[in-house]
Amino acid sequence: MNINELLAAGPVHHALGIGIGPIILVLLVIGGLAYGVTHRTQRQRPSTRPDPPFPSSAAPGPGADPSPRVGAPSPGRSAPSPWFDRPSPRSATSRKNGGWAVETHGLTKRFGATVAVSDVELLVPRGSAFGYLGPNGAGKTTLIRTLLGLTKADRGTMSLLGTPVPAERSRALARVAAIVDEPRFHPHLTGRDNLRLLAAARGGAAEERIGPSLARVGLAERAGDKVASYSMGMRQRLGVAACLLGDPELLILDEPMNGLDPAGMHEMRAMILSLVAEGRTVVLSSHLLDEVERTCDAVAIVDRGRVIRQGPIDELTRGAGAVVVQVDCAEPARAAQVVDQAGIAAGTTRTEGGLTVTFPAGAPRAVIADLTRRLVRADIDVYGLREIQTSLEDWFLSVTSRLGDPS
Amino acid sequence: MTTTEPSLSRAGTAPGSGRRRAPRTGAWLPTWDMITTKNLEIRKRTGLMITMVVLIVVPTVLFYGLRLLFHMIDPHSYGPAGTPDLFSQVSNLIAEFGFIAAAALGAAAGTTDLSEGVFRHLVITGRSRLALYLARIPAGLAILVPLVALAFGMTCLVTSYEAPPQPTTVSLFGVSVPEHFDQAELQTWLLQHPRQAATGLPVGPATTPAQVRSAIEVNIASFYTEYTASEVSGQSPADNEMAKIGLWLELEVGIGFLVGLGFGSLTGQRTTTVIVMIALEIIVTPLLARTQLPYAIDGQRLVVGIAMDQLRPADLAAAGESGHGGLLLGGRGALGIPPMPTWAMISVIVGWIVGWSGIGAWRMTTRDA
Repeated sequence: MNINELLAAGPVHHALGIGIGPIILVLLVIGGLAYGVTHRTQRQRPSTRPDPPFPSSAAPGPGADPSPRVGAPSPGRSAPSPWFDRPSPRSATSRKNGGWAVETHGLTKRFGATVAVSDVELLVPRGSAFGYLGPNGAGKTTLIRTLLGLTKADRGTMSLLGTPVPAERSRALARVAAIVDEPRFHPHLTGRDNLRLLAAARGGAAEERIGPSLARVGLAERAGDKVASYSMGMRQRLGVAACLLGDPELLILDEPMNGLDPAGMHEMRAMILSLVAEGRTVVLSSHLLDEVERTCDAVAIVDRGRVIRQGPIDELTRGAGAVVVQVDCAEPARAAQVVDQAGIAAGTTRTEGGLTVTFPAGAPRAVIADLTRRLVRADIDVYGLREIQTSLEDWFLSVTSRLGDPS
Repeated sequence: MTTTEPSLSRAGTAPGSGRRRAPRTGAWLPTWDMITTKNLEIRKRTGLMITMVVLIVVPTVLFYGLRLLFHMIDPHSYGPAGTPDLFSQVSNLIAEFGFIAAAALGAAAGTTDLSEGVFRHLVITGRSRLALYLARIPAGLAILVPLVALAFGMTCLVTSYEAPPQPTTVSLFGVSVPEHFDQAELQTWLLQHPRQAATGLPVGPATTPAQVRSAIEVNIASFYTEYTASEVSGQSPADNEMAKIGLWLELEVGIGFLVGLGFGSLTGQRTTTVIVMIALEIIVTPLLARTQLPYAIDGQRLVVGIAMDQLRPADLAAAGESGHGGLLLGGRGALGIPPMPTWAMISVIVGWIVGWSGIGAWRMTTRDA
């Protein structure tokens, strides 16, 4: 019986030919789609083995203090990063070797009459934790958005991991991951499905990294829950997991501590340090000075769209604020008199059992030796001297407060 | 034990070193994974899916369900459910509500990534924005096309199983004429039956057989038009007509989806898009279809709904002409716009599809994420 005979055979065959035919076709399409989705979902099912607690073994445990000494190189980094070699910002060598994770020259972005990013020269060494600091509205997020191609720059050049953007944006971003503003996801999907959506866009082996990424951020057990039920901290973790899908060499995290409680901040800090320990570069944009100081090796300070200082934190803070020395001595009053008469200090303050001497900003460290000599010559018993470090916050405030000063 | 799951970089190993080449994400064609995951993202929107089913499938189920029930209870008052008229009404219903449902789906597909803040994450992957846009098209159509096919399949089933006895004659102005005549055969038959023709056909003041024959010869074209319309409306649609109607319905909802997607991507506003699309379908298009604007007929023809109306298969158009349907139920067969050539209809339809897709893709590739 051919199709014409079948169709002519009566209402039943007629219905079979016209009515059921399309339905079968449709069911096949639906079945194909459903199979594809289910098959992939099954491949992504978490194993019955309990997931490792957050964070991974590469990171310090929750009880440990993950904060490194300010200025100390991160563990796992073998060679000094090119940033600390202080090459010229436009050094051909640095570009040739791909020494900079992020490099911008004259980058400018305007919104109408407002200049959000102004002529920014930024150099981020590879393998470092780099802080991008600035008050709210300073242009931090706009710079990140420009770097990532989320918005177009009006002027200037930039490269990520040595690859020029936006000219080779896709190639560059294949090795970059970022959280911009806050990590947002489809609330009606589970954490795992959200990652599948992003992994599909990333391509390559990204989908196979969903499980490890979720496990690493401690979300494996909640991966099947809808994101709508996640706390802010869990969303931040999911954001980090999304970043890890591409096994990136460069991570750009915009205010990753926002909305986190102290424990969450601790975990996030540990996670960032563990990422750096693996040789990744992490750019941390924040207005939380303490967090940056505890996490990063180097910083750039941005205000009103301009980068006003950049470099290793210890170097920047050392020369910026006043040098303050705590002197433990036998006769604080006479010691203060000696210092005042010598005229070498900006001021002295009597403290319990000693004296605090403040030297002018930018004073060389030799003034401390000079102070010691003068006190000994005056026959004052000196039990100890201790230089009080200027914190990043002190320095940040001093730098930004100079902005209005034409000098 | 070895594992096939690639772990993330270990401490001391530089990420990206000695591993796979970075995937090519700059290509404009979406991958299969992108399409299936976008499809998943849309399908998981429970409210949207309920809306789709309510607008596309439920009316058909209710319409035929009630009619079958009434026919079972009181077959004298309620005839069989598979009449050609009901077939046309339900098909038009699917077309009208399907277009609105499709527009809502397109608007959702075009705006939710943006409104839920996921668009920027997708862009940061380095994937071509055009590929991100194009992935939405098959992902959405994979939901829409089966739903319409399901509703129309039910319509075809009921029409086939529950069809009333097929007439063997065609009622031409009350005169019973055999089926399947072409114009010459109709003329011959009428000339051979002048008395019957004189009693039913509008032949004017003709009284003698010669005058009747003359009137038949003069008016045969209009008689034949009426004959074919009566023949079509009285019989269940032929198989090829059903197939044509099914394809036309899919095209109608496909246009609704693509225009909704493009407009949604342009505005980034889901609610605005849905409102505009509903207004286009149930206010603007019917008004323009029923009213001839002097010096603006060609402009009216640029409205996709009008082009689609003129492309509407004969069985649906016939139902519209006979008074079924209406503004909401489709069946705008009584068009006030003179017919347009086929190439013009196709040009308008293709223009809307390509134009709105192009606008949506352009906005997606240029918008700040």
